[in-house]
Amino acid sequence: MLEISIFSILALFMIGGSIAMISNRQTVFSAFGFLVAMIGLAGIFALLNSQFLAVAQIMVSVGAVVVLSMLTILTVNANGKNMPHEPNKNKWIIFTSILVAPFTILLYKALATLPDHFSTMETINSKVIGKELFSEWVLPFEILSILLLSAMVSAIVIARKSKNKERGRS
Amino acid sequence: MTPNMFFLLASILFSIGLVGLVSRKNLFILYMSIELMLSSVSLILATLSKVLGDASGSVMALLMIGVIASEAAVFLAMIVHLYRENRTIDSDTFHALSEGENNA
Repeated sequence: MLEISIFSILALFMIGGSIAMISNRQTVFSAFGFLVAMIGLAGIFALLNSQFLAVAQIMVSVGAVVVLSMLTILTVNANGKNMPHEPNKNKWIIFTSILVAPFTILLYKALATLPDHFSTMETINSKVIGKELFSEWVLPFEILSILLLSAMVSAIVIARKSKNKERGRS
Repeated sequence: MTPNMFFLLASILFSIGLVGLVSRKNLFILYMSIELMLSSVSLILATLSKVLGDASGSVMALLMIGVIASEAAVFLAMIVHLYRENRTIDSDTFHALSEGENNA
C-alpha cells in the first residue's frame, strides 16, 4: 500500500511536470517542469529497486542535462520578438492530445500483454549491473564512449563562431 | 504495485512528449519533448528488467542515459548556432528544405 501511494505521488509529479513543460509560455518554467519530471523518474527507478539507475539518472539527467539546458536557455535569452508567435497554443495542445489519445491506448494495450507480476528478484545493484555491463554489453559500452566523444567534438564544432561566413555560404 | 501501472505511466509520458513535439514551435520545448520520450522508453526498459528478472534491461536503460546526454549536447549546440544565425527560436523559420527549387 505504501508503495502504491509513493508511486501515485511520483506519477502525479511526473505527469504534472511534463504537462507544465509543454504548456508553459516561458521557456525557463518549461525547463523547471522538465526538472520535476526527471526527478520523479529517478524516484520511480528507485521504486523499481534499481538504485544504481536512480543515482545515474539523478547525476546525468538532472545534474547535467537539465542544468545544461537551463544554462543554454538563459544564455540564448530569447524574449519578445525572438520567441515564436503562438496565439492558439492551448487549442493546438488539446487538439493534438485528442489525436494522440488512441495511440496511448494502443501503446498501453500492447505493453499490458506482458506478464502482470514482478518476478521475485534481488535488487539490481551496481554489482549486478557492473558484471553484466563488462561481460555481455561491453561492445555497446565502447560504442557509447565513442558516441559521447564524437558528440562532444561535434557540439564544439557546431556552436563555434564562424569567422568567415562568406566562404561557408558559397 | 503491478507492472501495468508503470507501463501506463510510460505510455502517458510518451504521448505527452509527442503532443509537445507536434503542437509547439519553441525549439527548446521540442528538445525537452524528445528527451521526455526517450526517458519514457528507458522507464519501460527498467520495468521490463524487473518483470523478467534480468539485469540486461537496466544495462540498456543505463546506456540510454548516455545516449540522452550526447543528444542533449548536440541539440543544444544546434539551437545556439541557429539562434546566432537567425536571431529566433521559432521552428517555423527553418523551412529552407521544404521549399524545394524556389529558393535554389
